[in-house]
Amino acid sequence: MIKINNLEKHYKTEELQTIALNKLSFEVKKGEFVAIMGPSGCGKSTLLNILGLLDDSNGGSFIFNNEEVIDYNERKRANIRKYNIGFVFQSFNLIDQLSVFENVELPLIYTGVKKAERKKRVHDVLEKMQIMHRRKHFPQQLSGGQQQRVAVARAVVNNPKLILADEPTGNLDSSNGNEVMELLTELNEQGTTIIMVTHSEHDAKYTHRIIRMLDGQKVTENSLI
Amino acid sequence: MINKSSSIINIGGLSVGIAVVMLIGLWIHNELSYDKYHKNYDRITQVWQHINYNGSISSQAANPGVLAEAIRNEYGSDFKYVLQASWIRDHVLSYGDQVFKKSGIHFEPEVADMLNLKILSGTKDGLKEVNSILLSQSVAQIFFGTENPIGKTLKLDNKIDVEVTGVYEDLPDTTSLNAMGFILTWELYLSQSPWIKNMNNPWSSNFSQTFAQLADHVVLENVSQKIRNIKLDKVSEGERKFKPQVFLHPMSKWHLYSKFENGVNIGGRIEDVWLFGIIGFFVLLLACINFMNLSTAQSEKRAKEVGIRKVIGSKRIQLIVQFFSESLLIALFSFILSIVLIILILPFFNRLAESNIDILWNIPLFWIIGIGLILFTGILAGIYPALYLSSFKPIKVLKGTIQFGKYASLPRKILVVSQFAISVILIIGTGVVYEQINHAQNRPLGYEKNGLVSVESSPERHKHLSAIRSTLITEGVIIELTESLGPVTANWNTNGNIGWDGKDPNFAVDFPNNAVNYEYGKTVEWKIKEGRDFSKEFGTDSLAFVINESAVKFMKMENPIGKKMYWGKTPYTVIGVVEDLLVQSPYDPVRGSIYHLSKWEQNVITLRLNPTKSTKESLRKIESVLRAHNPGLPVNISFIDEEFAKKFRNEKRIGELSLFFTLLAIFISCLGIFGLALYIVEQRKKEIGIRKVLGASVFYLWKLLSKDFAVMVILACSISIPIAYYLMGEWLQKFDYRTSISWWMFGVAFIGSICITLLTVSFHTIKAANENPIKSLKIE
Repeated sequence: MIKINNLEKHYKTEELQTIALNKLSFEVKKGEFVAIMGPSGCGKSTLLNILGLLDDSNGGSFIFNNEEVIDYNERKRANIRKYNIGFVFQSFNLIDQLSVFENVELPLIYTGVKKAERKKRVHDVLEKMQIMHRRKHFPQQLSGGQQQRVAVARAVVNNPKLILADEPTGNLDSSNGNEVMELLTELNEQGTTIIMVTHSEHDAKYTHRIIRMLDGQKVTENSLI
Repeated sequence: MINKSSSIINIGGLSVGIAVVMLIGLWIHNELSYDKYHKNYDRITQVWQHINYNGSISSQAANPGVLAEAIRNEYGSDFKYVLQASWIRDHVLSYGDQVFKKSGIHFEPEVADMLNLKILSGTKDGLKEVNSILLSQSVAQIFFGTENPIGKTLKLDNKIDVEVTGVYEDLPDTTSLNAMGFILTWELYLSQSPWIKNMNNPWSSNFSQTFAQLADHVVLENVSQKIRNIKLDKVSEGERKFKPQVFLHPMSKWHLYSKFENGVNIGGRIEDVWLFGIIGFFVLLLACINFMNLSTAQSEKRAKEVGIRKVIGSKRIQLIVQFFSESLLIALFSFILSIVLIILILPFFNRLAESNIDILWNIPLFWIIGIGLILFTGILAGIYPALYLSSFKPIKVLKGTIQFGKYASLPRKILVVSQFAISVILIIGTGVVYEQINHAQNRPLGYEKNGLVSVESSPERHKHLSAIRSTLITEGVIIELTESLGPVTANWNTNGNIGWDGKDPNFAVDFPNNAVNYEYGKTVEWKIKEGRDFSKEFGTDSLAFVINESAVKFMKMENPIGKKMYWGKTPYTVIGVVEDLLVQSPYDPVRGSIYHLSKWEQNVITLRLNPTKSTKESLRKIESVLRAHNPGLPVNISFIDEEFAKKFRNEKRIGELSLFFTLLAIFISCLGIFGLALYIVEQRKKEIGIRKVLGASVFYLWKLLSKDFAVMVILACSISIPIAYYLMGEWLQKFDYRTSISWWMFGVAFIGSICITLLTVSFHTIKAANENPIKSLKIE
């Protein structure tokens, strides 16, 4: 599903250059659930952004679904993104002005799904996430766990092949956190590939494989199955 | 970043706004200060009369030359002075070999006292002797430089010697009589116009003006009432049907309230004062709206600052003071900048407004108003952050649980909508003004104005007219020339004793007429509709009329050719009907007019240039030929098309001024919408990022963000279009010959404002939509 080879990314400020990713290579197979761990500033989030086609790299190769996407422009990347990738963020990133229903509906609008079909699919996924009763509420009216469930619902409503999660439990207490991890595990069992950045060893235990990073490089990789 | 650019917008917008308001204020001050130079401003008045033509009353300043004397005799105790005067007109003054054409007036002797002229040398009683002259400082300067002019002799119109007895300070631009470069005696006027003495009844001709200063103890209205029948009692039986009513028109109204309709004062230039006063008020409102808008937009971002300050221990009052002092400081800075702007714009503005305005540095009122503006705008802009933000509970702000909610931007939107509504009204207003000017300019003239020039006639020129004509025609300089009583661009004479068969004897008429010669028609290229032009082949044409189409309608004459008309008792035959010549206001209907032949000296020589010759060359030739036949008289050639264009000066000025203010208003509105877009985009930054991550295209985001603004413009247009339609409809009522308001103009204003808005907004929206979403999502 994903194969990166010698991936590089550096940031330049006026005086110094920071290397975020240093010739990083690894592969994620279809249906895998992978955790990426490492201390703050090791390049985890940068990696996730590049994998999510939100950011470009400075060298190397990135094959997504057998396609070399490293040189794709924003329009092509947006296309791959909206049909294939779902995002879950630590801070949920829901739009405050839109209701739960409307937040979850958004990705379907951008992929041009018809209105009736949208309604059905949003309802299905809200049922599955057990927040159907909250569909008319606004994000600020929900608890953190509920908000993250909405965010996960939004990430999966388009049936993406890949979910990228950036510390999905970081803003949640442990019981809400576990709930979200179980949701992700369930999605993975249904066939969705998941890559998750996390600081939590507890959460990492839900995954198949842990990639540990330091200073933009992979240091270890250990399989949990 | 947002702070820096919005501060620039804020200060820039407010400065422009204040500058415009102050400019308008200065202009209004200038208009209102008219004639106040004269110390007796509130006692001086001009005597006017209402004349009744078959029920419609027309009002005029022209009076019989004996009016002042009659008022002095009968109501002397109500007045300090009552003085007869001529009209201000051009005269040729010469001193040695210096010859200049200057404007002057004839006045009865006490004029210097009444107008409180500041005598610089000589005496204010200088008009006691018939052949004396008072010179304005500038005219004295031209002839005598540093020499003492008193006692020197000037030649007037190449005929009469006049002795300089006094020099007075020039009247400022803001006086109604400021065109008066010198003053001659009324007595001289009478002695030079023998026809005045030869009149059967001196009350039958209105050829002069009457000025007066009221006695200290009387009320103008009462005196005006008292003297009203003074003329009626003295005119001949035949003229009584015009029911002349004399009245006083005070100096305080000369400049701004000079228009009468049916015997009632209906204002005049005061309309412009109101118009621009209102525009100024709205421009200030727009600028303040922006200022408030942008300050409050920033202030929400500053909620956190408030929280931290409160945690550290700031009291609410300290925060209030802080916010107010910040906005006052910005207002002060804008005010200073606006003064710089005014200094830069003023010369341009003066040209546009045909005024001579200066900044009133030394008038306290100016500074009081300035400080008032600073306080007003500063407090208006500071009030929201000062009172609202300072009330926040710090813990809520810092936790981020303060909600600005769905409606936080509503007041801002209302303000922007009203801003655009005002701009759209101004756009449409300006459009209609230009449309009206255009409409009147394209009105059929009845003659060909291009290639037509005119020059004044004189006894010498009249005597040599056929020699001048044949020289110029032989040399190919002109095609034809003609001499006439009035120019083709104005009517200089009307007569009441015109009759025709079948006329009701009680029907009062006042027929415009022009004395012309045989070549008139060919020179101006009028268009004969029926009958024929004057012709030397008919010996009888000296008793013939050519009339215009409106005259035919006015007299309800069928088959006019060959019909009899009467001038007094003398019968004339109508030989031709011409298409109406537009000689007077291009906005009024053409009046029925008469053309007749005259072999006497007339006032104006009009020449049709040969189009195949260069104009410059032709003018030089005309000048040298005219000079050869009348060496003492300066040659001032005027172009008829330019004279015609002067008829549009007032409307053009209004058009240009309102265009100027409209552009400013649009500019300020754009700043406003620019600021609002900046604010909204900033507020929705995270949302834009999220939408982008979820797959929204740049175009989709642009549409999403622009939609709100488009809705605001549509709303603004739906408010302003009916208002503009009503207001401009009212304005057009002033003109008899007027355009209709075309609907495309509303379309243009609408589409124009949508385009301007989208362009302005797109600057921010496209930038925001193109931004890397990760950046915006990182903002926590």
